[in-house]
Amino acid sequence: SAALRFNISTECKITKARSAVMKLPHYDVKTPVFMPVGTQGTMKGLLPEQLENLDCEIILGNTYHLGNRPGTDVLEKAGGLHKFMGWNRALLTDSGGFQMVSLLQLAEITEEGVKFKSPYDGSETMLTPERSIEIQNSIGADIIMQLDDVVQTTNQNYERNKEASERTSRWLDRCLKAHKRPTEQSIFPIVQGLLNNTLREQSAKEHMTKDVNGFAIGGLSGGEAKDDFWPMVSLSTGILDKNKPRYLMGVGVAIDLVVCVALGVDMFDCVFPTRTARFGCALVNKGQLSLKQKKYETDLNPIDKDCTCSTCLNYTRAYLHSIVTVETVSCHLLSVHNIAYQMRLMRTMRENIENGTFPAFVQQFVNEVYPNGQYPTWVVNSLSSVGINLCHL
Amino acid sequence: MRFNIKQVNCGSERIGSLTGFIKSSKTIIETPTAALLTQGGSVVHLTAEVLAKVFPDTQLLWLPLSNSVQLENGVKAQGEGVAKFAGLPKHVICATLYNINEIVPPGHFELGKLPLWTKNGKKMITADKYMDLMETFKPDIILAASDGRISLNEKPKRIVKSVERTIALLDSCINKYKASEELQQSSLVGVIVAANIPHKCEECIRHILKYKETLVGVALAGLTDGSKESYEISLDKLKEIFSRVGGSLPNDLLRIVEGSWNPAVIVTAIEYGWDVFDGSYPIKLTNKGHALSLNFDVYRYSGDPCIMDLNDIRYNEDFKPILEGCECLTCKKHTRAYIRHLLNTREMLASVLLSIHNLHHFNEFFVQARLHISASTFNIYKKHIITQYENINPKLDNEENKTAPALVQDKKKIKVRIDDNVKTEVNGTIIE
Ligand SMILES: [Zn+2]
Ligand SMILES: [Zn+2]
Repeated sequence: SAALRFNISTECKITKARSAVMKLPHYDVKTPVFMPVGTQGTMKGLLPEQLENLDCEIILGNTYHLGNRPGTDVLEKAGGLHKFMGWNRALLTDSGGFQMVSLLQLAEITEEGVKFKSPYDGSETMLTPERSIEIQNSIGADIIMQLDDVVQTTNQNYERNKEASERTSRWLDRCLKAHKRPTEQSIFPIVQGLLNNTLREQSAKEHMTKDVNGFAIGGLSGGEAKDDFWPMVSLSTGILDKNKPRYLMGVGVAIDLVVCVALGVDMFDCVFPTRTARFGCALVNKGQLSLKQKKYETDLNPIDKDCTCSTCLNYTRAYLHSIVTVETVSCHLLSVHNIAYQMRLMRTMRENIENGTFPAFVQQFVNEVYPNGQYPTWVVNSLSSVGINLCHL
Repeated sequence: MRFNIKQVNCGSERIGSLTGFIKSSKTIIETPTAALLTQGGSVVHLTAEVLAKVFPDTQLLWLPLSNSVQLENGVKAQGEGVAKFAGLPKHVICATLYNINEIVPPGHFELGKLPLWTKNGKKMITADKYMDLMETFKPDIILAASDGRISLNEKPKRIVKSVERTIALLDSCINKYKASEELQQSSLVGVIVAANIPHKCEECIRHILKYKETLVGVALAGLTDGSKESYEISLDKLKEIFSRVGGSLPNDLLRIVEGSWNPAVIVTAIEYGWDVFDGSYPIKLTNKGHALSLNFDVYRYSGDPCIMDLNDIRYNEDFKPILEGCECLTCKKHTRAYIRHLLNTREMLASVLLSIHNLHHFNEFFVQARLHISASTFNIYKKHIITQYENINPKLDNEENKTAPALVQDKKKIKVRIDDNVKTEVNGTIIE
């Protein structure tokens, strides 16, 4: 389709990882890709040109927030979110459903849609699949999400899970039908079923019958045990079309990214790198540096001597320590580094997939994260399921 | 550092240059000019990367100790001065005790000590300690410690006291300065107070002039304590002060004015030979969500207001740049509607975009001022600027210096941060 072409360049010979170019109306995105989240049409105080310098090729906007402020009227008059925020590369929007259920206690889900009280004027409103797509059509992102019936991942109620999973498929049909701009925007269905094998398999198989350009894997990364998480990712990528992009929602911690790329995921999003920046934490392979700590007061090293971001080139840990969580500039500086970190990790993975060295990279990365050789069982098991048997060096 | 005067006109407005900076020997900073206000060593809201996009050349930065004293141990460990430590090695620093616009509780003096209100509360500081910090920070220009943050209309008793204190503080600063070769790499500036009581002010100036050979210039403080009321001084009154104080100074001294004065006041000061301003005005506008939009065409004034309140709903669907024809990064790419949206959603980018425009435009205001002085048309320019301020809604210009919505929210976030952080730590390993 004109709205999305997915050209796989290299497949890893051992794992399910692959590198590809996803051609979208606004940009050719190299995958595997991490998509930083810019909720309100902006990314934590960074200019669009800074995001471009950081190699961001696609970023996220939140439909629920943008639909409220500035609202679809303004966005349409502006010519879409791209023009409104001055971002020429690709955009993806969520459906608004997740935000509604997680932010609003008053949300009630019926077959028609998500009913909620507006936090702005208290009026009762209904977000239907049709309305979600209508708003996303106004925003104009390259990739848009179907409205799904969201259940807390750790919910144990089988009946509710089944209902949500099946309703998500029914809502998908309504979303596809309501979609007004199919040549410019691709709707991704969301595979649901939480942690239940059968429901998730049914959901994925059902979505496979639809004429869509890519798939999202939802209902995960919601506080479930990692041992429960990865088999669901693996099950989903096992069913979904190999020739279409797969997007795992809400995942962004480095080790999770590495494992899930090995399991065949192409796209990720998470607020984690920019949120943690606000708290004064900088991402490094071994985890995070909490720069508030006194021991950084006179540490004249950059956050990461191998990082070439503008923060690491210009600033020491000691300086960041002295302004962290006090000056807005510190938040900008850490956001730059943390986004650079995510982008570099994804770039390294792509290069290793293309060079045929991805399994070796994974082994080396895991060693760096767990230098004592105490690998978590989920990391060992998930990687062994795709042919990487970790050994402590 | 050296100050040279290139041209003085029949008014006493003048063009000068600051040169001979130790770390950037080729830099020439032309006056009249404004510094860029810093907080924690960074230009407010701008990282080094963004600052370089706005101003590729070396800039004069205004560094109040009250918001940067926490950098001391780091600067000391690095040993190369505060500019380098704050990631801005090629820029030139003018250091002072306070940001005169920070509103703090009054009083709290102890014998020989000044209160320094920092993010971590009050610190009492002696002139010696101040100069020790300067030795560590290595700024290009040091304003001597003073009791300068009092309003013009303060009780005479308090003003007299401030002269006494300021004189004693200057003596101590001079002694420290003369005893340290390291400190003599920086240039020292004496501070004038008591502008409203002519004979006390003269006493202060006479004392400063005793050290004329040691000092590169003077700074005029004691006009405001940062409060809204203290800025309510008539232009005529300020004119009288700039004229009287300026007239009693030798020409070759650099003249600095502290305070968040608007362009109408600044052109009035420039007319009487004042050279450098502290650069807090554009930040004050930014923090209120306001954009400066002066008209520089002296032959064509449309009557448009020279300050825009971008919080206003009227800009909701206004897809024009802040100021048509403005060459700043913000105006070349972003619209009023977008900035209004960012203000409305309390996003940090609002402050960044407004800062970029306001700093660029404020700088342009000085560029134009210098051009008019060169062309001997400054009087026309001055009237043109003052007219624009006479026509604006005074509320816009003289509102209380409230913090930007984005900042207010950020402060809330810092509180939340503590609890939220626990969650983050679960996600990723915090290295001990
Ligand atoms: Zn970095
Ligand atoms: Zn502009």
